[in-house]
Amino acid sequence: MKWVAGFFTRGIILEQRKEPALRRKLRTFLNANYAGMLFDSNLPCDGAALSGDQIIEIARLANIVDERDGLFLHEKLTKAKKMKIRVAVGDAIDDEPYVSSQMNPLLFLQKEAGEGLRLAAKAVGNPKIYFAVYKNLSDLDLKTKIPKEIDGVEVRRIHGRYPAEFRTMDDFDADGPTVLIGVCSLIHLYRAVYEHRIQSTCFVTVAGSCVANPTNLEVSIGMTPTQLFERCGLAEEPGYVIIGGSMTGEICEDPDHYLVGTMSRAVLALRDEEKKRRYQCIGCGRCAEVCPENLTPFYINRYIELGRYEALAFYDIHRCIGCGTCSYVCPSKIDIAEHIKQAKGEMKRRRQEREVG
Amino acid sequence: MLQQGQKAPYVRNRDSAFTVMMDVVIALIPLYFMAFFFYGLRALMLGLASAAAAVVSDVACTLLEGKKPYPRDISPLVTGLMLPLMMSAAVPYYVVISASVFAIVFVKHVFGGVGQSAFNPAAAGFAFAVACWPTQVFSYPAPFSAPPAFQAVTEGLSSSPAWNLFQGGVPAEDVLDLLLGKFLGPMGLTNILVLATCLFYLLFRGAISWQAPAAFFGIMVVAMLLFPRIPDTGPMSLVYEATTGMWVFGGIFMLNEPGTLPKRSSSRLAYGALAAIFTISFQRFGRVEQTFAFALLLTNVFSFTLDRYSERLLRRLRRVYLATRTKLSEKKSAQRA
Repeated sequence: MKWVAGFFTRGIILEQRKEPALRRKLRTFLNANYAGMLFDSNLPCDGAALSGDQIIEIARLANIVDERDGLFLHEKLTKAKKMKIRVAVGDAIDDEPYVSSQMNPLLFLQKEAGEGLRLAAKAVGNPKIYFAVYKNLSDLDLKTKIPKEIDGVEVRRIHGRYPAEFRTMDDFDADGPTVLIGVCSLIHLYRAVYEHRIQSTCFVTVAGSCVANPTNLEVSIGMTPTQLFERCGLAEEPGYVIIGGSMTGEICEDPDHYLVGTMSRAVLALRDEEKKRRYQCIGCGRCAEVCPENLTPFYINRYIELGRYEALAFYDIHRCIGCGTCSYVCPSKIDIAEHIKQAKGEMKRRRQEREVG
Repeated sequence: MLQQGQKAPYVRNRDSAFTVMMDVVIALIPLYFMAFFFYGLRALMLGLASAAAAVVSDVACTLLEGKKPYPRDISPLVTGLMLPLMMSAAVPYYVVISASVFAIVFVKHVFGGVGQSAFNPAAAGFAFAVACWPTQVFSYPAPFSAPPAFQAVTEGLSSSPAWNLFQGGVPAEDVLDLLLGKFLGPMGLTNILVLATCLFYLLFRGAISWQAPAAFFGIMVVAMLLFPRIPDTGPMSLVYEATTGMWVFGGIFMLNEPGTLPKRSSSRLAYGALAAIFTISFQRFGRVEQTFAFALLLTNVFSFTLDRYSERLLRRLRRVYLATRTKLSEKKSAQRA
């Protein structure tokens, strides 16, 4: 089904706004105190000489965290090894607008990423390896070309509308059980193996309408958003600051004290030009048209507003992946995704109460 | 932080409820232009009176509910503008005004306002007018007869070709006149070419979805061709029905009213089909010459039920799909082992 290029996938076509951050060279912004910290080990600094278990041991010593899901890389690799993985995918999908903190390191640190993926593959029993990069329907004018092959590893494009990341497994499933590993953690794995470096940095996109020079930075863990904005320059006072993607990220209330970590992925300074006008739901049903899981957010939202949580199970609310497409298309600007998130929390709380009482 | 209260996602679509409604208003403008062309100032004045009545009663109802009126919600304007188009240009002012007040107060606000009404307000307003003043609604002045703008029109009124069809006769009008809308009929919906343009405009703007109109028009056209009301006319029967009937206008503007339309695409198809079946059976067995509004009111009742069935079907399909997928992958891993 490659030829349809994802036109029939459900979801929305988003203007990606990754440029110019994606095109610009990856820069470093390090805190001198713990840049280049090493761990003690008498294992050789050579990937070819290491066994799979030794690579996992190095990942543990280097404290590498996978930026995809926040799991420790060594735990993930151990689990993958037990599952007899057939495919290992270096995930550089970045399907949300503005964010390119996986694609950019993949393009500018090709050798590290490729060798890191091979090391990870060796650790889980030599499966097939690929890189996965998102190909949006609207990025025809993208100046950055993604090569077909990076350091000898085939690059597969994940086609279709946003959200694409949750569809990745389906694209590789045909070959057997698949593990997805974030590209940034692969780069850290390479450094840990060849230089015995502890993971003390993370890759972050600093972008948004208020940032003067949108760039991808490799920053020390524990920097604050304010420091990053000083590094990249602010064109105007930000209306609000977001940690994470522009679709699913969270508001940062205190940019002076928030600490950027491995899971941050992006720091965005945005400002809405127009005042967001809210309307009553007109019942147009666009949310149901775009939902990638084919749910009906219209009825879910209505039952949440009415407080009838018991009716939500019928509409399969547990299948919601929280991508935010329903809120994106809503012409009445209702925060449907946010309501669903809160309702899920509330339902969980009630269930626990019932179990205790 | 300068701006507060933002919730994910932080990038949003530019369409708003205002632009969606505005698209419908823009699509109604050419119909008013045609009405002005055929009947002069009176057509515009009727539209203005109806729209004003709708907006005023909407504001009054909102205030009575203890809410703040919201000027960017233009849904009463849409209802108010649609109503006079379906009636004769000679209709008295009190008919359109009471129809639009009825539509807003008793059909929209009694059910809870925007997006909550169980019945299409415009269709209900029209049905109300037909039930109360059938003669006034269905007696039409001739095109270019220039009815006076403000006085009551009493002379030169006669019935439309739709009445002719309803009686079992063949309309005497020229085919070209029928296609160009130059015949006795409702003031805004005789010109089928303009209506078709409105349909394409709304579809391309994304103001309406394609499912309900596709099912509706598909079934209507097939039914008109296969079972014509006047025997031995062949495809001409379709021309008569489409030009004189209200269902073309209704299928574009009233069927797709977002509040009453089902939300799932599969139930939209069923909804359009149901509306077509009701319209045809009302035509055959009904007592009124324009049946679409009544058929639509009946279809509205099934909107939620159709969605519920669609959701139930979807749930089952989803579970079957997930089960097969797990089974397949288990099978594959068993083969490998």
